[in-house]
Formats: sequence, structure tokens, C-alpha cells
Amino acid sequence: MRATLGILGIAIGIGGSAIGIVFLLRGVIRHDAAALRSGRACVFVVLGGAVLAVGAMEWALLSHDFSIRYVAENNARATPTLFTITGLWAALEGSILLWAVILAGYLSFTAHRFRSRMEDPMVGWALAVGLAVAFFFFLFMAVAANPFELVKGVVPLDGRGPNPLLQNHPLMAFHPPMLYLGYVGFTIPFSFAIAALITGRFGEGWLADTRRTTLVAWGFLTVGVLLGAWWSYEVLGWGGYWGWDPVENASLLPWLTATAFIHSVMVQERRGMLRVWNLSLVIATFALTILGTFLTRSGIITSVHAFSQSTIGPWLLSFLFIVMATGIGLIAWRADRLHAPGRIDSPVSREAAFLANNLLFAGLAFVVLLGTVFPLLAEAVRGSTLSVGAPYFERMTTPLGLLLLFLMAIAPALPWRATSGEVLQNRLLGPAYIGGLTMVATVAFLTRDWTTVVGFGLGAFSLAAIVRETFVAVRGRRRADALGWVGALRRTVAGNPRRYGGLVVHSGVVVIAVALASSGSFGAKREVRLTVGQAATVNGYTVKYTGSHATKNDQKDAVSVDLAISHHGDQLGTYAPAISTFRNANQGIGTPSVRTGFLEDVYLTLVSSPNERGRITVGIAIQSMTVWIWIGGGLMALGTLVALAPRVRRGVTRPTAPRRGVGNDDPRGDDDSGGESAVARPEPVPA
Amino acid sequence: MKHPFRWIALGVGAIVVVFAVILAVNVGTDPRAELNTSRLLGKPAPSFTLTRLDGTRLTLADLAGKTVIVNFWNSWCVPCRDELPALQTWYAAHRADTSLVLVGIPRDDSSSAIRAAARTDGMGWTVANDHGAEAASLAYGTRGQPESFTISPNGQVVGSIIGPMTTADLDRMAAVGQGL
Amino acid sequence: MRRAAWIVLAVMVVGVIAVAFWPHGGHESEAAHMHRLASELRCVDCEGLSVADSSAASAREQRRDIGVRIRRGESDETIRNAYVDTFGENILLKPSNRGIGLVVWALPIGALLLGAVGLAFALRRWQRQPRLTASADDERFVARHRSSAPDE
Repeated sequence: MRATLGILGIAIGIGGSAIGIVFLLRGVIRHDAAALRSGRACVFVVLGGAVLAVGAMEWALLSHDFSIRYVAENNARATPTLFTITGLWAALEGSILLWAVILAGYLSFTAHRFRSRMEDPMVGWALAVGLAVAFFFFLFMAVAANPFELVKGVVPLDGRGPNPLLQNHPLMAFHPPMLYLGYVGFTIPFSFAIAALITGRFGEGWLADTRRTTLVAWGFLTVGVLLGAWWSYEVLGWGGYWGWDPVENASLLPWLTATAFIHSVMVQERRGMLRVWNLSLVIATFALTILGTFLTRSGIITSVHAFSQSTIGPWLLSFLFIVMATGIGLIAWRADRLHAPGRIDSPVSREAAFLANNLLFAGLAFVVLLGTVFPLLAEAVRGSTLSVGAPYFERMTTPLGLLLLFLMAIAPALPWRATSGEVLQNRLLGPAYIGGLTMVATVAFLTRDWTTVVGFGLGAFSLAAIVRETFVAVRGRRRADALGWVGALRRTVAGNPRRYGGLVVHSGVVVIAVALASSGSFGAKREVRLTVGQAATVNGYTVKYTGSHATKNDQKDAVSVDLAISHHGDQLGTYAPAISTFRNANQGIGTPSVRTGFLEDVYLTLVSSPNERGRITVGIAIQSMTVWIWIGGGLMALGTLVALAPRVRRGVTRPTAPRRGVGNDDPRGDDDSGGESAVARPEPVPA
Repeated sequence: MKHPFRWIALGVGAIVVVFAVILAVNVGTDPRAELNTSRLLGKPAPSFTLTRLDGTRLTLADLAGKTVIVNFWNSWCVPCRDELPALQTWYAAHRADTSLVLVGIPRDDSSSAIRAAARTDGMGWTVANDHGAEAASLAYGTRGQPESFTISPNGQVVGSIIGPMTTADLDRMAAVGQGL
Repeated sequence: MRRAAWIVLAVMVVGVIAVAFWPHGGHESEAAHMHRLASELRCVDCEGLSVADSSAASAREQRRDIGVRIRRGESDETIRNAYVDTFGENILLKPSNRGIGLVVWALPIGALLLGAVGLAFALRRWQRQPRLTASADDERFVARHRSSAPDE
């Protein structure tokens, strides 16, 4: 019953997307409005099918319907309800289903938003491309990764349950959906980019049409990547949050190209330049989401999350190839019309800074991509593999990251077009001094490690520049409009949410960068053996073993040990790392326990549970500033939300209102919304 | 060049095709296949000093002149449990043969689990989980469990295999060691 | 005056960086040395973790072995080679800069330099170009969007 409903949902998805593509193509080519409307309706049919399939899967999971193979393999009667629900993304087939439903959701949202513009061939083509992607994923589910396949032979009485690592922490409920909301969202700008190439309208229109969706997808991807890091930190127990594992790299790659895109798009909006580059970035971002899924799910690279699935490899690889071939082919076909007029006037201007930013982000993406696939390339060339791991990535990405931090400090202060040396010196001298003095203080009091010194200095420089820019704008607004500070701040942000949202995102990045820089220099790690009553001291933190407990339930057996932490005599509480043995696995899984502090975390792991003589082995790691990575992530999410807010356009809505006097530091002088003003229009009149 | 983008697109396309071919060739090959060959083959066997479960010492030198099959394993490892019947059958059949020795060395386990497994499963060939076992596991460059090696009577590593062995594998490993 | 302020700042930053890069007087502690080498080796029982980060028995044993080798006075290169001899080249998390390993280091650096040079070249060429005014096409585009674009 549930399997039938699910398969029906998938079938509706396949049929709906195929018929929709036919209608849309017919409508676009023959200028047939009725066909376009039917094609648009098909998008919602596809969403219905996807929701039906997901509903059937959740129903099957919650009712423990072990006649479905996926449920039998990823659920057990003892699995807690939360992890039963999250079972939808515990393995490949369910993840593809999640992918399909999110894609259908994005497509429906797009179809709804452009309902009044269905006659526009750009919209018709974009929806057709989006439906083609959806068609692939539904077909993929039906043929190669069917989540509703029935078990062969007797229906088991109980299922195997999810992978122990996936039923160990509530973050599992948030990390994969966030990541997929990010990954899949890039289908929309991709569809519009392809539509722009097909229709030959690759000006700024498609950028304006997809700006919000791209930003939403980017925001989700940012949060998804950071939640993944947080999950590793809380679950995997090695004390770190980023191991440059292929799966982590796969999620970082589209983030890097998307970040490059949301910066370079401003150059095109403002100056009409970089058309091919922006199209390429969007196509690359989408292709990288597929490449990432291929690399991590086809079993071609071994990784924490890579479950060998030999049949899916050729599917994803073929799809990737079609995507790349389409994108590259279309660009080659349109080459004669893609060359944009325009020039960059000065190497010291906002647009030049964006170009440098793009070079660095493209370089980072190249390093990460090359490092991730290099073992495969090396094997193909000489027949034996190499490993490319954290030391390589750290060595290569650190200088690029520091350069980006530097750029982040100066770029928001650079005006468009050209900059006089005077302006730059005015705006940057104060922040630059704050950065320089921070470096002096770091070397004098903290560490001589150069990455930490430079990282702290550039972080302070960037943050000071952001604060200065905002302060000057708010002060100007306050004087001009005779407002209080809070009111002026609100009005400044509302006047250009994109710029100030961006600056909030930047401040989040600075916070993360400083935390990363500090983690390289401070902190310590030791493994100690303790019997009850014994204590060990690492970096001033004393950890005392006070006792152990064994617990047993239907899901797992767990041994936890009580460790009392004190720091120079202050009691910080008792923490209990554990080793759990899940019913479906033989080897114990460690559950770390973390005492989170403002500057330092005490990260405790139980390496081996009490032996015959009652002795335990405990890992004690002192991690520097980890909590600031999550705080920085929160700031990035907040900034994205601000940037998404509609702009309050005073002056445009009331063109007859007298213009008030503005000072030299008019915040609009730094207006970042070139694209928006290029397509400026009166606010829509409510119907 | 009339349209440089066309040339760039062509170049990128060529790279993508090469890359896709490499990936396509790699799909379906086991990423660990290469690991099946040990770097130690043909080299002198690293020496080890182990403690038997009864507390007596066992060194490689004690076994000179014999063909030794070294089997690295863990009690919690599923493929090792799969391999166990083959080891038991083979051990029972060759117990009397003084020119052949089977040594089971734990890789990453607790002493109690090793003792319990040796008792219940009658693994008379295995040794204690102590420092010597860990050192041997490193010296032989083991990358997982089960992993097994053959040492010839003159002290060379002549055979290696990753993953569970069948009795036929064991016979082949022994034959290689005996120079057959 | 302002120029002087910038010069002072530049001297300060250069000074700090020189101090940071100046060879440290103190000898690298054995624990730090061991950790540095261990973080370059792949833990064979883990997925994507270094020997330094892992709590697997094999990693613990390797850390001990590295410590013994350091005390024995073996050079970093000798220790790395010993591991390569036992496990193969893929035990190193950082490919060596010989043979094919060189590619993974040189290619991104080369590409970045090429990109930077290309960018500098393009900027120079733009500087020499005359400014352009909006074409009739552009004007039409703006006009069309003013009237028809949906509210973003």
C-alpha cells in the first residue's frame, strides 16, 4: 500500500515532468499561451507526486513497514521517532527522494512567482530546463535508486536501523535538509542561465529574476555546510570539525563557486560585464552539486559517507556529462553574442575588487576540486593511488583565505568606477591601524605563528572597516533625517538591505576566520589512562574520573564515564563522554562530551571503556574558540536574511517629496544595488 | 580568433571529456583494489615479539625454518567472523604439520574480548592483545582486518591477502610459503 | 602627515611579520614534532583522518613509533620514507613534490598566477580603451525592464 503510493508518486513525477516539458517547449516554440499554462500546471503536478512519495516514505518509516527494503535497512522498531523521521535521508535512495521533493518545491515556487510572465520565452525555457532536471531525478529513482523496492523473500520482523552515526545526534534532523535546500536551489539560477543562452537574452534580466532564489540557496548551503561541521564536531569524536573529507569538499565546492557568483553578479548588474563568466559560474555551481553527489555516492572515493552503490555511478556521471555538455555547447554556440561592451576604469575600484575576489574563489574551488579528485587522476595515470588530505588543503587554502580576508577589509570601502587615493586613505587608515596593532599585540602576547598573527590582524582590519562603513552611513542618516541612532540604523539598513546584509555576512566570515586562525595555534590534545579518583591536567584544565555507568535500551548499550572538569580550582561541571554499541553494529561508537566555553572548549572522548582493572582511556582536547564558528554561521544566516529583505525605496516612491539635505557621507554614495537601480521601477501598486 | 569564448569553451569541453572518461573508467573498480598488494612482498619479514595467551613468548626467530601464516584480526570485525570457519577447518587439518604455523594477531581489540573469543571459538593459534601485537600490526603495514601474510621458511614475505580467506586461499598461501 | 601614518603602519606590519617568521630560538618539543609528522600520515583504520587525530589502536601505535624514531635521531625524511616503504605512497596525506605529486601542487599555483596575469593584462587593456556610452540596445533593455520585470 505504502510502496504502491510511493511508486505512484514517482510515476506522477516522471509523467508530470515529461508532459510539462512537452507543453512548455510547444508553447515557447509556437507561442501557444494555452500550452504554456498547461506546462506551468504540470510543475504543480510534479510537486504533488513528490509530496505523495515523501508522504508514503514517512508513513512507511513511522509504521515500520519492513516490506520496503529501504525501511528495513534504515529503520528498526527501537529507532527513536526523531531518527525514524530523519530516516528519509539516512541513505542514498531516500536522499534522492528528498532532493526530488525540494526541487519540485523550488520549481513550483518559481512557476507561481512568474505566473504573470508565462508568455515570456525565458520563463518557459527555464521551467522546461528545471523540469528536465526533475525528470532525471524521478527517472533515476524509478530505475536505479528506487526507495520503494520491496524486500526479497520474507518480510523481516525488525529492520536493521540507521547507521549508528546517523542516529546519535539531533543535528542529523537539520544538516542534510539544509544542505539539500542549498544544493537543489541552484537548479533555478541554472535553469534561467540555460534559458538565457537559448533565448539569446543573456543580459542582466535573468540575474534580476533569480537573485533572491540564488541568495536563498546560498544561505541554506552556508548553514548546511556549517551544521555539517558542527555535527562532525559533536559526533565523530576526533575533536575537529573539518577534515577535508571528500563529502565535506563536495559540499564546499558549489559554495565556493556560488559565493564567487553572488559577488561577480554585482559587476554585471552594475556594468553589464562578465556575462560569460557569470553564466559559467552558475553552470559550474550546478554541475558541482551533481559531481559532489556522484563522487560521494558512487563509491568511487572512499569516505565517511560514501556507501558503495555501483549502479548509480553511471547515471550520475551521464547526467553530469549532459549538464556540462549543454552548458559548454550553448556558450560556444552563443559566443558571438556574448561579448559584452564595457570596461573597468581603475584597478582600484569596487569592480576590480570583485574580479580579484572571483580569481581567489575560483582558485580555492580549483584547489579543492583538484585535491579531491587527484587520487583518481593519479591512479588513472600511473596505476597507483595517492592520498591528498588535510595538510595539502591547509597549506594551499590558507594563503588564499588570508588574501580574501584582506580583500574583504578594503573592498566594501572602495567606490564603483574609480577611487582617488585620498578617499581610500580616509576610509581605511583607522581600520588598518586597528589591524596592525592587533598583529603587534598578537605577536607580543599570544603567539608567533604567522597564520594566526596575520589572520587576527586581517580579521580586526575587516571588522573595523565594516564597523566604520556602517557607522559613517548611520551617522549621515541620523543627521540628514534627524533621527535617533537606532532609527537611523534601521533606516540605513532598510535603504540598502543588500549592502548591509552583505556586511553582516562578512562580519560572520571574519568571526569564523578568527576562530580558524586561533585553532591552529592554541589548544592541546592528549590521551590519558585513568582509574576512578585519578585526574589529569591539560592546559590548566583538570579532568577527574569519578565513576562510570552502563545503560541499556532497545536502541543501544552505552557505557558513560563521569569526568569532573575544573580550571585552576573553579569547578566547571561534570561531563560524560560515552561509548555506545548499537544493536546493528559490532564496533562501539564514541559519543564525545563537550564543555563549551567562550574562548576554549574542553572536548572529552571515551577511547576505551573500563577494562578488567577499572582503567579507562580518555581523550582530552582543548579547542580554541570553536563556539565562534557557530556564532559566525549564525551571523552569516542573519546577514542573508537581511539581504533578502525588500528594499525600502524612499524618494523613489515619493518622487515629489522635497529632497532633504545630505552630508558628505551620504550612505547612498556607497549604493551597492547597481543592478536594482538599473531596473528601477516604481513600487507595484496594490491591486 | 573571431570569438575567443568559442575557443575557451572548446578547451574547457576537452578537459571535461578527459575528466569524464577518467571517472567513467574508475566507476565500478573497487577503490581499495590496489591495496591488495602489500609493499612487503619479497622483502624480509619484519620480526615480532608476541605473548601467547598462556603468557609465553613467541618471536619470529622461534619460527625460523617454518612456513608461517600470520592472520591479523579482531573479535568485533564481521569479515573476521566470516573467515573463522575456514581458519578452524584449516588449522584442524594442519595442526600436526610442524613445518606450518598459523599465528593470529589482534589489531585493535580489548584483551577480554580476545580471550573470550579464543575460548569460545577454540582459536588455539591466536596470541594475546598486547604491545607486541600492535607493533607487529604496524611493522606489517596492515591496513585493515582480516589481513594475512605468508612468511617463507627463509624469512621472506611471500604472500599477502586482504579480506576473509577461504580454506583454498589458506592452502594457496601455505603452498606459496613452501615454495610449491 | 597621512602619508607618514601609512609608512609607520607599513613598517609596523613588516616588523611583525619578520618577527613571526624569524627562526624561533626554542627547539621544537618532541610532542610537537611527533604531532607534526603524525598529522602528515593517513590513519589506515579511519576515513580521512590523520594519525594525529585518530584514537584507533594503529594510530596510537604509529604515534609511539614516530616518537621512538625521533628519539633515535631519524630525520623527518627517513621517517616518512619508512612509512612509504611499508604502506605505499598513499600513506602520505600531503603528496610529495616529486613525480606526479608535483602536479597537484604546481597546477593550482600556475593557474592562479595565470589568472592574475590575465586579469592584470585585461585591466591594462581596459585602461587604454575609451569609455563607452550606453547603446540603443541597452536603453531598450532598461526600458523594457522598467515596465515589465516582476518585483524581485
